Amino acid sequence: MERTVTVEPEAGLHARPASKLVQAANRFDADVSIGRADDGDDGLVRADSMLSVSGLNVEHGESVRVVAEGPDAEAALDAVCDLLASPVEEPAADADGGDDGNAEDAEDAP
Amino acid sequence: MRTLDGVGSTPRSGVGTARWYRPDADLTLPDRPDPASVDPDAELERYEAARDAVREALRDARDRTAERVGEDEAAVFDAHEGFLDDPTVIDDVGAAIRDGTPAAHAVADRFDEAVAQFEGMEGRMAERADDLRDVRDRLLRALLAGTGESSDAAPGESPRSAAARSPTDLAALPEGTVLLAERLTPGDTAALDPDAIAGIATVEGGRTSHAAIIARSLAIPAVVGVGAALDAIAAGETVLVDGEAGTVVVDPDEERRAAALESGPDAIRERVETADGRPVEVAANVGGEAELPPAAERGADGIGLFRSEFLFVEREAAPTEDEQFEAITAALSAFPDDRVVVRTLDVGGDKPVPYLDLPDEPNPFLGRRGIRLSLDEHADLFETQVRALLRAAATDHGDELAVMFPLITRVEEVERAVATVESVAADLAAEGVGHAVPALGAMVETPAAAFLADALADRLDFLSVGTNDLAQYVMAADRGNDAVADYHDPLHPAVLRALDRTTAAVEGTDAWVGMCGEMAGDPALTDLLVGLGFDELSMSAVTVPDVKRRVREVDADAARSLASDALACETRGEVLDVLGLDERAA
Repeated sequence: MERTVTVEPEAGLHARPASKLVQAANRFDADVSIGRADDGDDGLVRADSMLSVSGLNVEHGESVRVVAEGPDAEAALDAVCDLLASPVEEPAADADGGDDGNAEDAEDAP
Repeated sequence: MRTLDGVGSTPRSGVGTARWYRPDADLTLPDRPDPASVDPDAELERYEAARDAVREALRDARDRTAERVGEDEAAVFDAHEGFLDDPTVIDDVGAAIRDGTPAAHAVADRFDEAVAQFEGMEGRMAERADDLRDVRDRLLRALLAGTGESSDAAPGESPRSAAARSPTDLAALPEGTVLLAERLTPGDTAALDPDAIAGIATVEGGRTSHAAIIARSLAIPAVVGVGAALDAIAAGETVLVDGEAGTVVVDPDEERRAAALESGPDAIRERVETADGRPVEVAANVGGEAELPPAAERGADGIGLFRSEFLFVEREAAPTEDEQFEAITAALSAFPDDRVVVRTLDVGGDKPVPYLDLPDEPNPFLGRRGIRLSLDEHADLFETQVRALLRAAATDHGDELAVMFPLITRVEEVERAVATVESVAADLAAEGVGHAVPALGAMVETPAAAFLADALADRLDFLSVGTNDLAQYVMAADRGNDAVADYHDPLHPAVLRALDRTTAAVEGTDAWVGMCGEMAGDPALTDLLVGLGFDELSMSAVTVPDVKRRVREVDADAARSLASDALACETRGEVLDVLGLDERAA
């Protein structure tokens, strides 16, 4: 399944919004990919790769296409699209724990 | 015990363990071995271990930075961790290792490819290339440390953990560190934890470099410009940094340590006047909330320079109106009965801010900076800042708020800035938002402003001289260029005459005149500055007690005649003679 959304964060898909998106994509079993809406299937890259997501060089206001496949595809799509659609970043920090280095520590904490 | 000479930058002393900071350290890889001789399993394991060490270092740096500086500034380490654990990188590096490439070469190849790709793109992508390089270097250091020994490890620290530390981890240095470096950027210095750093010594740099000024604001003992002799100090040696004498002592004896660690002069809480009763305000320069308590503890009579650009640098987007309002009211609450002078955004020159897209100019000190940006390309940021200031002026301690504009060269700039203040006040009134118009002033840091001081004083409540820039522009000598450092001393007669022109223009008017450059904090020059007619001197907090003590000894009449003797001089040497000073480092 897939969705097309407009990138709302002021910083585009750079820096913190990019990290958050990658962390979110890593939290799910589904394979999530992302690309410019106009670029078709060839423009899709892995959403769990910081290098690929930053490499898209997507700015605020651009339209992107998010594709998810796998058992929790819908939840993954929701999480990723929510991030793309929120203009204001929450000041919340990432979880402070995260000693074990698995995907769990990407959960947001207030 | 051996002693190296440099230039004292923060007049305090500290003893600690030497640690080198080498952002440009050469990470030369060994020659590529024959693929058949590589043990892929062992190399994969080393790659894994290096990633673990780097991840730990990144999280450590992230937490320390979040706590000391802020969440926004800490966010960059999340991005670094994203690159470190990027699944495409892990796949590619793993594949290369299985093909017989050692881990270090595989990492270098993959990251270099990504760096090249990002460098070819525009704008912010170039910054990401720096991030990638940082992660690559951390990984390589950790991988190379696994094979040899690292000279940068502190006692009790594993070579791999020490190697995973990077330049950007300055905020996470262990307590009791004496930081040794070729040079430090302002960002490096601002990241330091004043409680952990016992001192700083650098090979290059002058007293007025931004890094030296920030070190002074944080009251970190510092000696700069030690020269190549500093390189002989090994990590782990015990080092004393004596910022008063301008020396670095390796392996100091007990007596030397005890003498150095005696605390500085006691703070004088009350306001001071000269021996014959002329009041002189002694205020502090502040570049961040962390510097407010030290300024108050040292008895500053308020803030003579609040560098608002510290709210803007090293983050990803401009601070909101509310964030700025909070920062200003925090400064006002720290000095409830004293004046707080906020300088509006002063970027450009050597103070770049990535998200502002400042133009790349061949000569940025003579280009788009200071008020020039605020009135044109960043008028929106300026308006937001003015809104925050006007709202803060209406709060409990807001009646002592004052606002000054940087890099003024033309009367029209003052008129336009004042017009902005008036229109923002009208907007706030229309919105029903509480506000007040604070006292307004101009920085005098260009020859143009000094020549026009009378016209500026006519339109404003005060002037404040920034001597570092004024000396740079009067003497046509870049303040960051060591090759012209001897041109940069404010005691050149041309600079003194520009100061006199400014104070003379204010005399007899309702306006007051202050100085917020580094010159103001040198007690050897207090008599001269009082004699020139300055009403207020603002400096790094650490020198406030010394200058207050000196003001009490000044005879205002004698100071005036000293100033007129100095103004009659034609060379810097003659000025030094008049002031009874030996040759001094600029």
